[in-house]
Amino acid sequence: MIRLVSIFISAFFGALLFMVPNMARRAVFFTLNVAPDFRASPAGRRAVSGFRGLVAFAVLIDFAAIFFAPEEALGAVVVASPALVLLAAMAGFLRQKHNVGRFASQSPAPGVREADLSSEPDKIPWFAWFGAVPFAMLAAAAAFLDRNWDRIPVRFPVHWNINDQPNRWADRTSLGVYGPLLFAAEFCAFLLALALAGWFGARRSRMRRIVLGTMIAVECMMALLFSGFAVNPVLQLPVWLIVLAPLPLMGIIVFVAVRRMTGSDGAAAPAPAGCWHAGGIYYNPGDPALLVEKPTGMGYTVNFGNHWSWVLTAGLVLIVASVRPLLL
Amino acid sequence: MEPRLTIRFDPQSGVPAIRQIADNLRILLVEEKLAPGMQLPSMRRLAMELGVHFSTVAEAYRELAAEGWLDLRHGRGATVLARSVPSVRRKVWVDEFRDRLRGLIAQTRAGGASGDEVAAELRAAAKETAR
Repeated sequence: MIRLVSIFISAFFGALLFMVPNMARRAVFFTLNVAPDFRASPAGRRAVSGFRGLVAFAVLIDFAAIFFAPEEALGAVVVASPALVLLAAMAGFLRQKHNVGRFASQSPAPGVREADLSSEPDKIPWFAWFGAVPFAMLAAAAAFLDRNWDRIPVRFPVHWNINDQPNRWADRTSLGVYGPLLFAAEFCAFLLALALAGWFGARRSRMRRIVLGTMIAVECMMALLFSGFAVNPVLQLPVWLIVLAPLPLMGIIVFVAVRRMTGSDGAAAPAPAGCWHAGGIYYNPGDPALLVEKPTGMGYTVNFGNHWSWVLTAGLVLIVASVRPLLL
Repeated sequence: MEPRLTIRFDPQSGVPAIRQIADNLRILLVEEKLAPGMQLPSMRRLAMELGVHFSTVAEAYRELAAEGWLDLRHGRGATVLARSVPSVRRKVWVDEFRDRLRGLIAQTRAGGASGDEVAAELRAAAKETAR
């Protein structure tokens, strides 16, 4: 079973990486500014095929390694296989970036910014209400656990090794039972805060709506995963089912986000070049935006010159610090 | 559908941000593209869109309010006012206008534009102003 699950995860991971060239605006290709119709040209198609060919090759090697690995080496192979696919994707990306370089526009993205003088209120999209759904899911899981408290074993597994054998247990205490739900609530609150910060703290663009939707969808997926994990001591679901259940949702999220992203024209809203440090850290105290689009066209990054960025960073530190007390 | 009204800001132009914002808005006000009663975006939103400090937009709005173009009331944002044209002695504005125009022409030609190109732009602007 572990071989099948690993092959499925490897295939899924490969499929996600297949979409990487499309995870940017139409005018940005392998992080370079190009003509919007370049990706449909023969050279553009060649670059995508070259990248995907290398990823597919790495995934096939993974399949063979997982399928034929002896039992004693299976653990190491399963852990190493996503790393191999990731390395192949990185190498393919850099190679195609080099190839596309000669077609990239020589002039950088225009530095002139334009602002709409419309005074229409900045209404948040209707689907933002779905940001509350994960908390309802977690509350329902908590209510279920409370109602079935007596069915929870006094000691139950919370961690499994690669061979599906439990190697860490929790006791039937409030923290042991509700800890994963508390962690998930904290994580979802952080994701929701980030999604709202991306809406109210970024310049108006089509990308802002895509990022808001994606963040809320990821929040729902995390709540589903942790709810399944939390109720498992009662329902005794197979672990592989809990691990695999959110993957189709993740696939849909990435597919929809990519479709909408490539439908977006133009270069990223320009942020002053002198404010980017170490490749991707944006620090500009004079810019009131909390999140700005990356010059690569692949999503947003935080403006560390905005004091709210430190609140977000503190939230992230809090989440990392609570992994051990709430989950392990 | 009403045409979209926008203002532009070039951080690399060397002209201070407040000057660019106030001048851009003033052009739209003089051309009556921003009509009396219209509401401008909040200072926070405009600052965010242009990537400038909140106080820069606030200063530009205050400058236009002092000239009588805008009404700034707390909690209501900026509203365009019906402004009566102030009476200025012809000698005063002509001298100032010529000085500024000469400066602008010199700056543009120093930047590489030919005299003919600048003259053509001036003729086009004159035609539009006289309409």
